[in-house]
Amino acid sequence: MGVKTQGAGPVTLTRGAFAHAGSSLGLKTGDWRVTRPVHLHRASPCHNACPAGENPQAYLALVEEDPHAAWESLVSANPLPAVTGRVCHHPCEIECNRGKFDEPVAIHAIERFLGDRAIEHGWDYPVGKPASDAPEVAVVGAGPAGLSAAYHLSRRGYLVTLFEAASEPGGLLRGAIPPYRLPRPVVEREIERLLSIGIRFEPNRRLGRDMILADLEKSFRAVFLAPGAERGREWSVGGVVPRDLRNGLELLQEWLSIGSLPKYQRVAIIGGGNTSVDLARVLKFNGVPEVHVISFRTRPGPGVSPDEAMPALAREIRQAIEEGVMIDDCRGVTRLILRGEQVVGVEMVHMKELPQRDGTRKPVAFEGTETVLHVDHVIPAIGEEVEPFGMEAVLGAHQFFPVDAEGQVQGHRGIFAGGDARLGGGTVSDAVGDGRRAAEAIDRYIRGVAAAAQAAPASIGIGELNLNYFDHAPRAGIIFLAPEKRNAETEIEAPLGAGEVARESERCFSCGECMACDNCWTLCPDNAVLKTTEMASDGSHYLFDYDYCKGCGLCAHECPVGFIAMVDEP
Amino acid sequence: MAADEKKSLFELRRTQPAFRGLEAGHLACQGCGQALGARLVTEAAGPDVIVANATGCLEVFTTAWPRTAWRVPWMHSLFENAPAIASGIEAGLKAQGRLAKVVAMGGDGGTFDIGLQALSGMLERNHNVLYVCFDNEAYMNTGIQRSSSTPHAAATTTSPSGTERMGKRHLKKDLLSIIAAHHIPYAATATVAYPSDLRKKVRRGLEIEGAAFLLVHSPCPLGWGHDGALTIEVARLAVETGVFPVLEMERGDVVAVMQIRKVRPVSDYLKLQARFSHLFKESPEARVELEHLQALADHHIEVYGLRGTSPDPRDSEGADTVRRGGLRWA
Repeated sequence: MGVKTQGAGPVTLTRGAFAHAGSSLGLKTGDWRVTRPVHLHRASPCHNACPAGENPQAYLALVEEDPHAAWESLVSANPLPAVTGRVCHHPCEIECNRGKFDEPVAIHAIERFLGDRAIEHGWDYPVGKPASDAPEVAVVGAGPAGLSAAYHLSRRGYLVTLFEAASEPGGLLRGAIPPYRLPRPVVEREIERLLSIGIRFEPNRRLGRDMILADLEKSFRAVFLAPGAERGREWSVGGVVPRDLRNGLELLQEWLSIGSLPKYQRVAIIGGGNTSVDLARVLKFNGVPEVHVISFRTRPGPGVSPDEAMPALAREIRQAIEEGVMIDDCRGVTRLILRGEQVVGVEMVHMKELPQRDGTRKPVAFEGTETVLHVDHVIPAIGEEVEPFGMEAVLGAHQFFPVDAEGQVQGHRGIFAGGDARLGGGTVSDAVGDGRRAAEAIDRYIRGVAAAAQAAPASIGIGELNLNYFDHAPRAGIIFLAPEKRNAETEIEAPLGAGEVARESERCFSCGECMACDNCWTLCPDNAVLKTTEMASDGSHYLFDYDYCKGCGLCAHECPVGFIAMVDEP
Repeated sequence: MAADEKKSLFELRRTQPAFRGLEAGHLACQGCGQALGARLVTEAAGPDVIVANATGCLEVFTTAWPRTAWRVPWMHSLFENAPAIASGIEAGLKAQGRLAKVVAMGGDGGTFDIGLQALSGMLERNHNVLYVCFDNEAYMNTGIQRSSSTPHAAATTTSPSGTERMGKRHLKKDLLSIIAAHHIPYAATATVAYPSDLRKKVRRGLEIEGAAFLLVHSPCPLGWGHDGALTIEVARLAVETGVFPVLEMERGDVVAVMQIRKVRPVSDYLKLQARFSHLFKESPEARVELEHLQALADHHIEVYGLRGTSPDPRDSEGADTVRRGGLRWA
């Protein structure tokens, strides 16, 4: 190249080279502009939907190129991805914009893939060792909420002591979720790795039995209570209770810990939650010929609002039906038919939960629809509440901990609560999210910083994407064990392979975040978009050159992911 | 913006990962389809190219004296003779035993009307030149006068809509058939809405020995009366409605078409543009012309076989698919 220097810059004479003097670059067409394009990060619907606070958009973007970085992004919110990838009801997939285009991205399968990959390769959690004089925090209960809180507190540099009543950590992950949904080795290895980041774990320490809350308050700067909800609610039909009544959760826990179940022939389980459906399936796998699940709610399906549907996960109900469990939905039990104190049947009636004059919703029984179901046992699984022993001072007359938006128990400074023990809790992912939020609140409490009031930004809708740039692609086919091959011990859902995960991650619309597709760079009529990986500081690969951008708005209109907005010139 | 950042933007501009023969600072309108089309053509042609440019918007907005937006050797003479100049450049290079790609560019005025004779000569002599016509369907540079490429019923300043006429009385000239009659090795149509397809066709046209012709549908926000942000949207709808068939011809025969996966009604395309707004008034005449344009689009779909039979990655829905990391297919 023949380059001479003349005046302000180089003048290049060879063809295809970069002329300066005499080039149109001297004409700063940017001053025509009345609106300018800017990069604008928007919240993806999956991120806003995740109870644990994960940002699936972020790890889907990374998983193909760098699974380790994807996992680090994932565990910045949720330290238990191998667990939640299996047991979560994945609201992320319900909200996924792709679901309105063809089928939602199989986010849970990728979450599980990353969790399993981390266990397999022994990736270290991105947590430094806390200082020996760091403030100490106590966490009570080593279920998902307690584990999450302990992890997020460690990440923030606190010394954490995690107390657990049982001899091993895991809470209901170990005690209430059957292995065909969540294999024991997965729970054990994920939790073992998590505890090894420097959390002091104290098993066999039950509040009220081995220690008292007041002492914890004295020895620790803050306390997080996540004891779970273990006590089955009182149940009877018109005051009548069969003699050999057993509670659903209790039966499930007994089977999980010692592997024994009473001999049943025909069973009716009352309640439409996960405990009920899990127990029904376990009974079925253990050879009980006839198992009914009775719920006054309806079975979930298209067009059924979550308020009306049975609270158990839709896929669990579907699989239970495949396995031969009878779901008697929209039914209530009005009477137990007893011979002596032995149940021989229940009287069922059609029911529906309907709004009342006072604004609440109540199940209404419809007279004239009674039928008799011949069963020899009735098992209530109608929900659990906090076992108050040892926590009476904080719990008061409540069944669950009343907490504020910060997770702090109302009227008790320095005591936080979450997980199933909190009013409104309920899922593993909710518990993980509670743990993280409580850790953030405890951090602010100890440092004496007020919470920054900020509303979560609204998710970007499918109407704000440019779908012309996406083509239809089928969701990864996830393989489930055939119903006749299932048993209580073998996991039913098969994992996706690395290739399938890569393909599935490419289906992500990357809602609201740059996916470096080059569209703006390719389509700008004015060459005012410059491509750079080094200089773009906002995670995109592009810069606008406002010297030349005329503000036509073409890039914003054609951005597939809604990452470019037009704003008025300042 | 700080001075050092400006400097680095300048550095960044000269180290972009793709060569662009048309630089920023040109004076095209906001959202100009032709400016985008010309840049995409030079991007695919690479630096080793000589451009002969007919009179028209492109010539005017890229060369505001004494500056130029071109980063390749470029020559303008008259409205009618870009093909003749390109022929001469090609012959001269041949005589000197030198190799360079030669591209001629013109608008629809310079191609369909004024330069048609010279173009026919260039094609007949089979010069090794790629002729690119940026079709914005009127004389935009001089004030939106109708050309023989202006579609039927479109309003221009010389074919206004009023009580006597609903825009242009005549039909758009079937230039493709004229080109086909020259039996040249390669001819194609493309649009700025499908940049990968366009770049592929430029490369194909340059790689073939002999004359090649490329018609690029280039929306004009000013002349067509649509928002500059909608240039790609409008161009895409022209394809999806069958108004602008995207195809390739060899020796005058159609050898490939971009199939339309989901054919859309022609009104979807028309209603975005002010030049067709009179067609959406409640009147029997407007209705007749609307149906006429629909019939013309249906005719294209029929004679070129544009209706897709099954989803294909090269059809109207698949051809513009983007991927994470910018892996476009051309």
